[in-house]
Amino acid sequence: MGIGGYVKKVLRADLSSERVSIEELEPSFIEKWVGGVGFGAKYLYDEVLPGVGWSDPKNRMIWASGPLAGSGVYGAGTFNVVSKGPMTNLAGSSQANGFFGAFLKFSGYDAIILEGKAPSLVYLVISNGRAEIRDGRPWAGKDIWETEDGLRKELAVKKGDVSIFAIGPAGEQGVFYSSIVGDGGHVAAHNGLGAVMGSKNLKAIVAYRGKRNFEVKDPERLKEKNAAQFEVAKVAGPIFRWGTGGAFSALYGIGCLPVKNYTTNIYPEHERMNGQYMRNHFEIRPKPCYICPVAHCKEVTVTEGPYKGFKAEEPEYEQLAAWGPQIGNSELGAVVMLSNEVDRLGMDANEASWTIGWTMECHEKGIFSRNDLDGLDMKWGNVEAVKAMLNKIAKREGIGDLLSQGVMRASQKIGGEAADCAIYALKGCTPRSHDHRGGRWAELLDTCLTNTSTLESMRGPVQPELVGLPPVSDPFSPEEVSTINAKLNGIGQFEDCLGICRFASPDPKLQLECVNAVTGWSLSLEDVFSIGRRVINQLRVFNFRHEMKKEDEKPSKRYGSIPTDGPAIGKNIMNKWESMVENYYTLMGWDAKTGRPLPKTLRELGLEELIKDL
Amino acid sequence: MNRVTIELWLWLGEELKGDFESRSEMCSAREEVIEEGISIGDLLIRLADRYHPIAQKLFDKRGKEIHPNFVVTYNDRVISPQIVFKQVLKDGDKITIIPMYTGG
Repeated sequence: MGIGGYVKKVLRADLSSERVSIEELEPSFIEKWVGGVGFGAKYLYDEVLPGVGWSDPKNRMIWASGPLAGSGVYGAGTFNVVSKGPMTNLAGSSQANGFFGAFLKFSGYDAIILEGKAPSLVYLVISNGRAEIRDGRPWAGKDIWETEDGLRKELAVKKGDVSIFAIGPAGEQGVFYSSIVGDGGHVAAHNGLGAVMGSKNLKAIVAYRGKRNFEVKDPERLKEKNAAQFEVAKVAGPIFRWGTGGAFSALYGIGCLPVKNYTTNIYPEHERMNGQYMRNHFEIRPKPCYICPVAHCKEVTVTEGPYKGFKAEEPEYEQLAAWGPQIGNSELGAVVMLSNEVDRLGMDANEASWTIGWTMECHEKGIFSRNDLDGLDMKWGNVEAVKAMLNKIAKREGIGDLLSQGVMRASQKIGGEAADCAIYALKGCTPRSHDHRGGRWAELLDTCLTNTSTLESMRGPVQPELVGLPPVSDPFSPEEVSTINAKLNGIGQFEDCLGICRFASPDPKLQLECVNAVTGWSLSLEDVFSIGRRVINQLRVFNFRHEMKKEDEKPSKRYGSIPTDGPAIGKNIMNKWESMVENYYTLMGWDAKTGRPLPKTLRELGLEELIKDL
Repeated sequence: MNRVTIELWLWLGEELKGDFESRSEMCSAREEVIEEGISIGDLLIRLADRYHPIAQKLFDKRGKEIHPNFVVTYNDRVISPQIVFKQVLKDGDKITIIPMYTGG
């Protein structure tokens, strides 16, 4: 009896020699690492040794799906990309929805390992158990949309026949926060993994639709639990109705909307900039991911203002915040335009926006003259100047070269007052587009302490009650926040092993039922936490081996500053930062002072072999 | 007697049209006249007794606890659920109930 849900094959592509090979996945490996970030964490640890930098051909990229992708679970077309990324020069795991996670398996593989560097630009095609590395030079310098359209034309396929994830000009140029974008606007955005892809001269990966080629152990049980999950998805949250943009005003109400680079929390225009306004006033068309009836992803056409008629992927919450309040803009159509621009160029909207907001504040303070900014008038809300600057960054042209390194490095180079205005976590991790100094201290702590380079413990709002833990009673309690972060940690990384979307599969207990139905396993919630924590500890030891410093697990001066107005005025997370971190380390089974996993913790998680490496 | 304002954000006020005035696409509100010494929690219980949708959405099954998916602000400042029953209302105060959101 085998395990359901897996093709049990991994494709290895050596880009230096342009050769591909297939490796079989052992059942013991699958059971221990499950998929997605789990597979990625293990391969990254074993194959990327200390001293290998993010752009070194010896760095690996692991694209991995999980047992639920393509199984019939709604919206399960998700995959993770794991590599050593430029923002932190540590491990990075970023997830994208769309279709690729399912098509990867239908093409014959649970994961792809990319190594080496191609002599010139290439792309990889996978279909029906075959893989081919092809000439990508015709697509050099092309944006994401041009690349997707062009590759479909070259391969003589229609939309829906293939899933394509590519890098844009930013990834080719080595912009530190380059993303990998595909399926018309889904993004693996964190830790500059698009730049790693660019460093390997890999423009895109194309996966054909294919057919299901793996067993589902208990289809009837899966059908029942999947249907139950959809009922939860419909009523559990307003995502179904308003998309993630529906959170915009709620976040404003608790002081979590980033406004003008954290210089204020006042933004009365929020009601004309939220998801509700967009869906009530703009033209909206569903654009669902792989078999997703929740369909929170939409296409939008702007119906008013200077960008009337502009059509693009509907901005998610993070883009609404990034290109609205964070840059002092109150024109919703411009948010649609800028969101499209940053995706088209292949950059992480979060980091791009922190960088642009910082540039605007520096311009306002006279640190950057207009001349310093290549003539661009980077005053708050000047969206056309922002568009022009994004293009300069993607090409690393003029001032764009400095800004292409992200706000941490750019601000450190300028120094002085400019250094105090930059929003980042000291490890180089990019916060999502919130003001975490408001009612999201938990996410601020998670962003600074993460081992994945993005959210590790959180699911956005903290919902410990979903896994039977007591609900949050005080979002500003240092003790409670650090305790809940630690106790919750594991569930999110298990989820990122599965190949699912958390909006379509919001209930962790039903997720687990689906995993057991597909694989034939009998995992408990306790097992789930253990698997997730194994992944976290594997990545944490990797990071320590790659020179992560405990002292860097904290926010920048501005990121950890005290709000001076708005709903969270006067709240100071730094007052008890050290005690929060120590409490968190202790509850995670790490040394309270150094943050290093204790041997006992590693043994309990089946990671004895890592003890010697610490 | 004191006059205080209750705001319900996003979809919370949808089923209470007629009782709550729609102030914008995402905010419904009403003014309440209350006695001296009434806390925020006391007022919310009073509203829950009167309006079934509030009882259903805002309070969990255990009763006098605000469901963890909601945040309460008092005069536009986030307050801890722990002090909802301790904070006594004054004339002109504003209470806002904001639903939290998975995603975003």
